[in-house]
Amino acid sequence: MKNTFIGLATAALVALTGASTAQAQGQGLLDTIITRDSLLCTGHNGSYLGFAEVDAAGAWQGFDIEFCKALATAILGSPNKLQVIPVSWAQRFPALQSGDVDVIVKVTGWTQTRDTELGLQYSRPYFIGPFYVMAKKELGATGIADLEGGVFCVNAGTTVERVLTDYMASKGIQYESLAFEKGEELRSALYAGRCDAIAGFGPFLSATRVEAPDPEAYQILGDVLALEPEGIVVRQGEDDLLDVINWTVSALLMAEESGITQANVDEIKANPPSPTIARLLGVTPGVGTRLGISDDFAYNVIKAVGNYGEIYDRTVGDGSRYKLPRGLNNLWNQGGLLYPLVLD
Amino acid sequence: MAETMPDTLIGAMAPPVIRSGPAAWLRKHFFATWYDAVFSVLFAVLIVWVLQALLQWTVIDAIWRVENRDLCTREAGACWAVIESRGRLILFGLYPFDEQWRSTLACLAIIVTIALSCLPAFWSFKRLPALWIAGFGIFVLLMRGGFAGLPLVTSEQWGGLSLTLFIFSGVVVIGMPLAVLFALARRSSLPVIAKSFGFFIDIVRSLPLLALLFAAAVVVPLLLPDALAGNKLMRVVVAFAIFFAAYQAEIIRAGLQSIPNGQGEAAVALGMPYWSRVIDILLPQAFRNTLPSTINQAVITFKETSIVTIIGFFEVMASGNAAIGNGEWGNQYVEVYVFLALIYFVFVFGLSRYGAWLEQRMRLGHD
Repeated sequence: MKNTFIGLATAALVALTGASTAQAQGQGLLDTIITRDSLLCTGHNGSYLGFAEVDAAGAWQGFDIEFCKALATAILGSPNKLQVIPVSWAQRFPALQSGDVDVIVKVTGWTQTRDTELGLQYSRPYFIGPFYVMAKKELGATGIADLEGGVFCVNAGTTVERVLTDYMASKGIQYESLAFEKGEELRSALYAGRCDAIAGFGPFLSATRVEAPDPEAYQILGDVLALEPEGIVVRQGEDDLLDVINWTVSALLMAEESGITQANVDEIKANPPSPTIARLLGVTPGVGTRLGISDDFAYNVIKAVGNYGEIYDRTVGDGSRYKLPRGLNNLWNQGGLLYPLVLD
Repeated sequence: MAETMPDTLIGAMAPPVIRSGPAAWLRKHFFATWYDAVFSVLFAVLIVWVLQALLQWTVIDAIWRVENRDLCTREAGACWAVIESRGRLILFGLYPFDEQWRSTLACLAIIVTIALSCLPAFWSFKRLPALWIAGFGIFVLLMRGGFAGLPLVTSEQWGGLSLTLFIFSGVVVIGMPLAVLFALARRSSLPVIAKSFGFFIDIVRSLPLLALLFAAAVVVPLLLPDALAGNKLMRVVVAFAIFFAAYQAEIIRAGLQSIPNGQGEAAVALGMPYWSRVIDILLPQAFRNTLPSTINQAVITFKETSIVTIIGFFEVMASGNAAIGNGEWGNQYVEVYVFLALIYFVFVFGLSRYGAWLEQRMRLGHD
C-alpha cells in the first residue's frame, strides 16, 4: 500500500526490466515453483504491524505471511516449503520482475498504473484496506463531520495524506493538518494530546489505540475515508499461478462460509455434508487437477492455516493484540464484501 | 657586623594568599565574578537535574523483566524488558534461532580479525591479506554452514550485528586497495588513465549510495546471466566498496599531494622502480598524513551500513525496527533505539580511540 519511498526509481527500474521478463517465460512460474519445491514470498524489511512481523525467535508471522503459507501449502503441500524474502516497499515490484520472489503478498493496493504499465497481474482482493479516522472519545464525535476545525495528524508523504485531503475537500470540512515523518512521532503526538484525531490505515490505527496509555480514550470512527483493495501480485502472463492464488483465497472463504475450521476439517472430510464441500476438500476429485496441483489442496491449506476467519482473528482480529474489527473484510452474509467463487 | 643591622624592621609584608587547594580552584574557575557564579550555579542545577532524571528513567524506575511487561506504561521508566524479549532478534535478525551460536562465533571471528589487523605486527603485504582471508573464510563457513551437520543458512537469512560487521569490514577491506588504485591512477602520468579514473570517481561520488545499492541488488541480475551476477549480498558489498573507494581515493590523493615532489624525484634519481617508490615512500606518508580523514571515512561507512535495509537486509538497525514493529513492543522504540545507539557507540568510539592511538604512535601533529 503506502509509502512511495523512491517510488519513481522503482517504476523506472521496472520499466527497464520489462523486456527481460520474457526470457523467464519458457516455463510457467507454477511449474518452476513445483520443480524448485519452494515458494518465494515477500516479507518486509522490518516489521509491518499485523501483516508481516518477526517474532522473538526471528520467525515470520502475520496476515500476509499466513497467505504465503496458504499458497505454499496449496502448491507444494506444506507450509514449510515457503521462503520469505525480506523486501522493502520500494523493492517489491523490481524483486518480482527479477524473480527474487514468485508472488507479492504485501498489502499491495490494486491500482491501474501497477496493473498496466508496471506489467503486474492482481488476484482478487484478499483484504479490503480501509482508511479511517480515530478521534479522542472526549470530543463525542460520531462522524468525521463532527470534527470540523479540529487538528488531524497524519504521516507525511503517504497515501493517507492525499486520501484525507480528498475526503475533506469533497465534504467541505475545514480542518488543520499536522504531518509527521515517522509512525512513532505520530503516536507520541496523539498521546501527548497535540491531535484531536489521526487518520490512517485501519490496522495502524488499531495498533495505535491498543498501545495508548488509556485505549478507552480513543475511538475509531465508522466513516471510511477511502478503500484500498489489496491483491496478491504476480508477473503479467503467469495465469496458471494466478488461478491457483484466486482459488486458494476462494477456498479459504468458502471454508469459513461452510463452517470448516482447522479443528474440524478432518471430521468434515470424512463425512462431507454436501457435494460442493466434497469437491472442495478433494473427496470428489477434480478441483485440484484442473489447476495443476493436488486435489486435496484446500484440505491441506485449511489443515495448515485454518479458514479466512481464523487467519484474520489470529493475526489482526480479536485473537491478536490489534483487535481490528472484521468490518468490510467479513463474508457477504455477515455484512462484509468478501465472497467465495462457485465451485462446480 | 652589628652596625649593619637596621634599627627597625622594614614593614613586613602580608604572607602571600595561598592560591591552591580545591576551594581556590573552584573560586578561580567558577566564581571569579558575580556572573560567573550565577552561570555556574545555574548549570550545576541543570546538570544535576538532567542526570537525576536520566538515572531515574534508565535505572531507578526501569522495568527489567518480561514478566513485568504490563508495568511498562508511559509514566514508568525505561522498559528494558523489550531488550530481554527482543534482544536476540536485534542482534541476530532473521538468523535461525537454534543456530544463533554460529552467528555469535562468526561475529567474534570478525571482531578478532578487525582487532588483529589493527596491530602493527600484522601490517605486511603477506600477513594482512592472509589474516582477512582467514577471517572472512571462518565467518562465511560458520554463517553459511551446509557441512558437518550444520544446516545451510543462505545469506538472505543473515542478519543483525554480524551482518553489519560483515558488510562494514567487507567494504573497507575491498574498498581500501581499490581506493589506493583509484588514487594512483588519477595521478597517473598517462592522461587517458588519469582522466578516465577522475571521471569515474566523480560519477560514483555524484550518485546517491542508495541508488547504487539498489541497482546492484535489483538491476544487475537482470543484465547479467545468473552465473556472473553472484549472490545479492556480495553484489551489494562490492557496490558499497566502490562507493567507499571513490571517496577514500580522494583522501589518499590529498595525502599523496602533500608529499613534496622532491622525494619522488630523489627516489627516481636513485633508480627505485615505480612500485617500490609507491609502497616504500609515498603510501606510508600519504596514509599517515590523512589518518584523521581516513578514520572519519571509516566511521561514516560504519554508520551508513544501515542503509542496506532498503534492499531487504536485516542488519542491526533493521532488526531493531523489526523488534518494535509489532503490537506488543510498539511503544518501546526509545529503549530499542538507545540499545542500538549503544551498540553503534561501542564500535565507533573504539574506532576513534584506535585512530587517536595511531596518531599518537606516529606522533602526528608533533613535527
